Amino acid sequence: MHGVSRVKQSQAALEAKRQRERAKLKEYLALSDEILSRKKRGDLGMESLALTTKMLQINPEFYTVWNYRRNIYLGVIFPNSTPEQINETLERDLVMTTIALKAHPKVYCIWTHRRWCLAQTPEGPGREGDDIHGWRMKNWKQELFVVEKMLGVDARNFHAWNYRRYILENMPVKKPDIDELVYTTKKIQANFSNFSAWHQRSKTYPLLWESNVLDSEKSREEEFDLVRNAMYTDPEDQSVWVYHRWLVGSGEDIELLKREIRAIKELLEEEAGSKWCMESLVHYQTLLVQRHYAVLGDGEYGRLRANSLELLQQLETQDPLRKQRYRDIASSFPSNQ
Amino acid sequence: MASTLLVDRHVSYIQSLGDNKDDLVYHMTAHLRLNAIYWGLTALCIMNRKDALDRDEIVDFVMSCWDEEAGAFGSHPDHDAHLHSTLSAVQILIIHDALDKVDVPRVVDFILSLQQPSGVFAGDKFGETDTRFLYCGVAALSLLGYLDKLDVDRTVSYIRRCKNFDGGYGNVIGAESHAAQAFVCVGALAILDRLDEVDYQALGWWLAERQLANGGLNGRPEKKEDVCYSFWVLSALSILNKLSWIDSEKLTEFILSAQDPDTGGIADRPNNMVDVFHTIFGVAGLSLLGYPGLEDLDPVYCMPKSITEKMGLKKGWVALERRKSM
Repeated sequence: MHGVSRVKQSQAALEAKRQRERAKLKEYLALSDEILSRKKRGDLGMESLALTTKMLQINPEFYTVWNYRRNIYLGVIFPNSTPEQINETLERDLVMTTIALKAHPKVYCIWTHRRWCLAQTPEGPGREGDDIHGWRMKNWKQELFVVEKMLGVDARNFHAWNYRRYILENMPVKKPDIDELVYTTKKIQANFSNFSAWHQRSKTYPLLWESNVLDSEKSREEEFDLVRNAMYTDPEDQSVWVYHRWLVGSGEDIELLKREIRAIKELLEEEAGSKWCMESLVHYQTLLVQRHYAVLGDGEYGRLRANSLELLQQLETQDPLRKQRYRDIASSFPSNQ
Repeated sequence: MASTLLVDRHVSYIQSLGDNKDDLVYHMTAHLRLNAIYWGLTALCIMNRKDALDRDEIVDFVMSCWDEEAGAFGSHPDHDAHLHSTLSAVQILIIHDALDKVDVPRVVDFILSLQQPSGVFAGDKFGETDTRFLYCGVAALSLLGYLDKLDVDRTVSYIRRCKNFDGGYGNVIGAESHAAQAFVCVGALAILDRLDEVDYQALGWWLAERQLANGGLNGRPEKKEDVCYSFWVLSALSILNKLSWIDSEKLTEFILSAQDPDTGGIADRPNNMVDVFHTIFGVAGLSLLGYPGLEDLDPVYCMPKSITEKMGLKKGWVALERRKSM
């Protein structure tokens, strides 16, 4: 089981635990049987709904019971409710699952049910204008608040990040994309190794550039400053190096490539033997040769090749886990033919 | 700490899993029962002990999970049909040569009904969608011999949209790369003969960087190691023919160190509680690493290679050569 320490218990202790659990077990099985037999006979009544609430609070991973609950809503309750009542019902489910999420932040079923609640939220309370989105906006904004709380507890929870992207993409009235840059800056400043936040920036910038909200050249330069700052803070944190690859991109801009190579070399001088400096240098020098051989000429090619092979040799000792990868790269270094 | 694979212990651990009926956790995980049987059975097959669980009992249990209304399998009798449990059911029945008990065309209809316009699959009718279920759909259709019914281009286009700049894959469009998604996306592409979609250099780099100094593999940058990634990462690496890009000896040691030498079973990391999920993925990883005495595992389907080969489904992946001794 993920992250649960092994505790050796004596037979007597195990037996005592079983005794304590016996009543709980009996109750659980009775509840489970009751729900599944009600479901089988198509009972979509309020009492069945209450039983699903009880079960899901004990076991939020019981997907069949979530399905049953939604079938009760869709089959009987919603068709006999006003939009206002439907909204209230869904708000209650959102509150219920907020409590469940705190205890089980990585259970798919809970996140799925929240998405379902949001998708079901009716239009209203008004019939036109902004007011038509009133309930929805309230629920969606609340979700953004909840997901930020969840990311406050675990900044790498991918369920929460996915849910965040889902909310931002589907809100009835969208938030400006630039807000996401502010949010991820805050997350990164709290912890440079939060790759989830770096990743989010790799998805946010293209939106801002395509829509001309940000000047792509200027903002890219500012981003290089942030990344360099992170590299100097902890040169062995791979998050920032991985993200740097995105920022440099396919290597079409020769000046940019050369500048980044120079910058990493400077860092390597301060941090002799830094794996990520060496690994990245090999990558960017290979890119330089692949993309710009015609401009470089044989002399420059020879220097880049010799330096890369030397770095790969050092990497074999510095990072022996991956030595075969370094050997493969060395033997397939682009030729000047 | 054990330095060899404790096969007998693991076999009796897997055999004992059904004996915990007075244990609350056993019942609270009923929604994973069919998956757990597939995990246990596959681990036994890889350890050459397939017969340690009674065949007829297993086949009967699988058939008792049939959801007549949906035309597919739930994870437990009276649970709703789900794509994940349906894949497990198909895998178990194929391992035990009992697919003739199933109304295959109905299962195929169920699977196809879950594909969304974007190409991704939902897990069930209430529609949680991601690449895990896309893999389940593709693998199950392939095992059932109905891949020709699938809209391959639409399926592949969804995987393409989940690909990130680091060469890895997320579970939905926009999501961060995750090692489990490397398995499901690369596995699905291998089944569909569309590995031309994969950026071998970038993904190979990203996968190799999953190995930590202690030998274990993590699932994303700057996260902790966990035995289950031994399968997710190794599966993708063997499909890319780049298993040599990590240190197999250190990973082998790490997996072995996560065994419980008393009860059997493998945990996520040393000194934690074991479970059948980490047991299969530890054993599967060891098989791909050429651990002596194990059967070959097909990393695309996570089933014994002897079976996929016989069905003509084996793809061009490469595992490490099986060693004669440790």
